[in-house]
Amino acid sequence: MATAELSLKVQAGSGSRIKDFLNANLINILAAVLFLLLAFFLLYPIIAVLIKSVRGPAGFTLEYYRAFFAKSYYYRSLVNTLLLGAINTAVCLVIGFCLAYMTTRGPWLLRKPLKIISLVPLIAPPYLFALSLIILFGRNGLVTRMLDLHWELYGFSGVVISQTLAFIPLAYMMLESTLMSLNPNLEESAYDMGASEATILRTITIPLMAPGLLKAGLLIFVMTIAEFGNAAILGGRTPFLAPDTYTMITGESDFNMGSVLSVVLIAPCIVIFFIHNYLLEGKKFTTIGGKPVAAEPRKITPLIKVPFVLITTLAAGAIFICFAVVLAASFYKILGVTDRFVLSNYLDFTSNQAIYNSIRVSLVAAVIGAVIGVLLAYVIVRGKFFGRSFIEMASLSGFALPGTVLGIGYLLAFSAPPLQLTGGIMILALNCVFRFLAVGVEAGISKLHQIHIEIEEASADLGASFLTTFFRIVLPIMFPAFIAGFIYTFMTAIVSLSAVVFLVSPGFQLAAVKIFDAAVYGEIGIASATTIKLVLIVMGCVAILNYITKKTRLGSAMGKPAA
Amino acid sequence: MSGERDARPMLVLRDIHKFYGTNEVLKGISLEVNEGELVTFVGPSGCGKTTLLRLIGGFTDVSAGDIILDGKRVNDLPPNLRDTRICFQNYALFPHMTVAENVGYGLKINGWPKERIRARVSELLEMVELKAFGERMIDKLSGGQQQRVAFARALSLEPKVLLLDEPLSNLDANLRLVMREEIRKLQERLHITTVFVTHDQFEAMAISDRLVVMKDGLIEQVGTPIEIYERPANEFIAGFVGYVNFMDGTVSALDAAAHTASVDTPYGAFEVSLEQKDIAPGDEVLMVIRPESVTISLDCGIKRKNVVCGTLRSYMYAGSLAKCTVAIGDKKMIIDQYNPRDAQRFTHADKVEVEIPRSVHLLKKKKERPS
Ligand SMILES: Nc1ncnc2c1ncn2[C@@H]1O[C@H](COP(=O)(O)OP(=O)(O)OP(=O)(O)O)[C@@H](O)[C@H]1O
Ligand SMILES: [Mg+2]
Repeated sequence: MATAELSLKVQAGSGSRIKDFLNANLINILAAVLFLLLAFFLLYPIIAVLIKSVRGPAGFTLEYYRAFFAKSYYYRSLVNTLLLGAINTAVCLVIGFCLAYMTTRGPWLLRKPLKIISLVPLIAPPYLFALSLIILFGRNGLVTRMLDLHWELYGFSGVVISQTLAFIPLAYMMLESTLMSLNPNLEESAYDMGASEATILRTITIPLMAPGLLKAGLLIFVMTIAEFGNAAILGGRTPFLAPDTYTMITGESDFNMGSVLSVVLIAPCIVIFFIHNYLLEGKKFTTIGGKPVAAEPRKITPLIKVPFVLITTLAAGAIFICFAVVLAASFYKILGVTDRFVLSNYLDFTSNQAIYNSIRVSLVAAVIGAVIGVLLAYVIVRGKFFGRSFIEMASLSGFALPGTVLGIGYLLAFSAPPLQLTGGIMILALNCVFRFLAVGVEAGISKLHQIHIEIEEASADLGASFLTTFFRIVLPIMFPAFIAGFIYTFMTAIVSLSAVVFLVSPGFQLAAVKIFDAAVYGEIGIASATTIKLVLIVMGCVAILNYITKKTRLGSAMGKPAA
Repeated sequence: MSGERDARPMLVLRDIHKFYGTNEVLKGISLEVNEGELVTFVGPSGCGKTTLLRLIGGFTDVSAGDIILDGKRVNDLPPNLRDTRICFQNYALFPHMTVAENVGYGLKINGWPKERIRARVSELLEMVELKAFGERMIDKLSGGQQQRVAFARALSLEPKVLLLDEPLSNLDANLRLVMREEIRKLQERLHITTVFVTHDQFEAMAISDRLVVMKDGLIEQVGTPIEIYERPANEFIAGFVGYVNFMDGTVSALDAAAHTASVDTPYGAFEVSLEQKDIAPGDEVLMVIRPESVTISLDCGIKRKNVVCGTLRSYMYAGSLAKCTVAIGDKKMIIDQYNPRDAQRFTHADKVEVEIPRSVHLLKKKKERPS
């Protein structure tokens, strides 16, 4: 084919022929390299899990799946997980919608502060909420002792509450961006024709948001059922798939059963991913252009206002309290039990060592992730080769994949030659890179969509080679996306728990795992202090990101973080 | 035009001010719009047209002033209780509904029974010539059709005042001409009070009973298209509605009986018919010379009144007219020569004769204006 023809030319031709060939094909070569990377570090581990789940000592077997469905324990675990996902998704969507509605349609004064509160949980590792619930409602919890309350925190309800708090920002962000992209003139037209606020919501706003709501719901569902930390810390005797997988691997070293649990966990994710990509494709209502405008505040009727304000206040209050108690608890051995104010939690050697390790891993992950992310974005947007959409899908899917699956996958794939990585920093970093690739890629894609291809063509037209164009035109424009990818990857990597919990070696502890262990063993003070340290680091990242965004007015690249 | 107007004001704006933060976007707007009248706001981008329309519709609160609709003060009424209907520039058609559902939305909201809705919707669709399109989804319509749906929807509840914000700006040039005629015809037929916003001055002149020229949150002039075009109140308006050549001069004499004035300019003396009363001998004036009002011819021999000699700098043939640039002394004048086919042909650098009509408009110059 064309390639053969070209390679012939290269052989026959002079140096400039080779150059021409490279020029013409560099993007394809780049794509091929990236494809191999994705295949090796993302697909291969998943396939390894699939294989492990059907391979017994005597070759192919479905025995392990039979065992899964035979045991009522596993069955209950599955039901619990799906139920948790459903409840959590519903609650998060309601809260997220109220918050998003208030910050895009409510009074100007409220918009900014509410938005900040809604997004604050982003700077916290999700298990902060589990931790704060233990501090408040655990066996020795503040509320438990003060009110002599005997609410059993460990179990389903505890997990639901902490998960909900953890996923509010995601729901909020997605619904806010849906609401923002909704032309306010539509609602105003309805208003103009005599519709009341409630009628507008029912007949215009919500129907138009339906694709966005569904999308957000699916994503939250997938991420909830995959979430490891909260369920593992607060699950108690209630089984959930993600923590069960962990127990199966670390407790019983049963990789076959662990893989089966992973596959069961991944199945709904894949189904949803396909719904998301194919059913929702193009299911976005488009309206005729015009200047995008921020909706002006409405006089919201009490009928809407009261429940909305109630829900938003409750959510905001809960988030605030959670942060406050973890901060307080970090200064006591065990808050409420020992009442001597100490700093020892912050000075704890193992905690600091773990933080140091986390920073190193995350830095490595961020550098690699940002580079690959930008290149992938470029290839996805500008490339015209077969399999382009596959690359796009693969690079964006890491986000929705349960961390536990990729954790086991990496264990299975990289613990033996040809590529033995276990025990080192690289396996942790690479794991983070490919799990969180979506962020950098999304940032890159959105930035690239702002650059007209004509700019590049103009450069090529002026005689610049592909490489010159790439380095002189594309990279500088992509730089903000690179920075965004770098910082986002760093932030996400440093707090992530579900995959790395499988991959840390005894001599190389990470902060997130340290917090998890400490929380499980009741070292509340240390867990809190380590959490606060992480929060501070993430806050630092956010501050840097903000600074750069302002400084370079590159907000647009970061305006829409990966969905 | 609809002959003599109703005296009854349907919409009254009384000293409207609007602040966004500390930014004063409207700085005191007063206006009366009569029943059945079509009034157009024109002005450069950012002058506050949309803001004014949104205030009338109730989407934004006025900072000061009154909005009176059909004799009642409506400042505090939200849009759903105001009998105004707005058509947004982007039409704001509901993309999840059919054409018929869009047009019938307001009727349904207001509790009309199904049968009546159906009848009314089909009547409206017939009116905008979209009878066969009722079941279509919005995104399966062309721009012009969408525009008509928006119009039908806005008219569905027979509002007292119709507000149109640049309704034609998303259409291509030919369709704009068609649609503006259609809108005007319907508006006149239904005798519906309409406030129209555009920044296309020709569209404004073609469609309106009266124009309101705005600039920086203030009304510069209100008048019929003829008044605005032929007797602009100042240089900005003269320049805003169509191209214009300005010529400085001094009034040397007045003939009150014949309503004429003589104006001395560096390029010669001109006799001009005078409409306004505030001009006195000795006044510094600006002659407002429209390109199409000037006659241009080849010979440059005998001195006649109001004729000056010039050199042809460029001649651009454009079918129905030819655009000529003529240098008169140090002054460049743009002249439109209509029907160039039958007119004399010019070549570059010809000496030409330029006749300034007596009907040119005079603007009294404010003191200290850098020319
Ligand atoms: N919601 C708002 N908040 C703050 N300033 C606003 C708002 N809406 C409009 N403005 C400002 O008010 C001024 C007038 O805006 P407006 O949209 O009314 O102009 P316009 O005459 O309709 O312009 P165009 O012809 O471009 O549509 C502008 O300077 C604009 O920036
Ligand atoms: Mg406008």
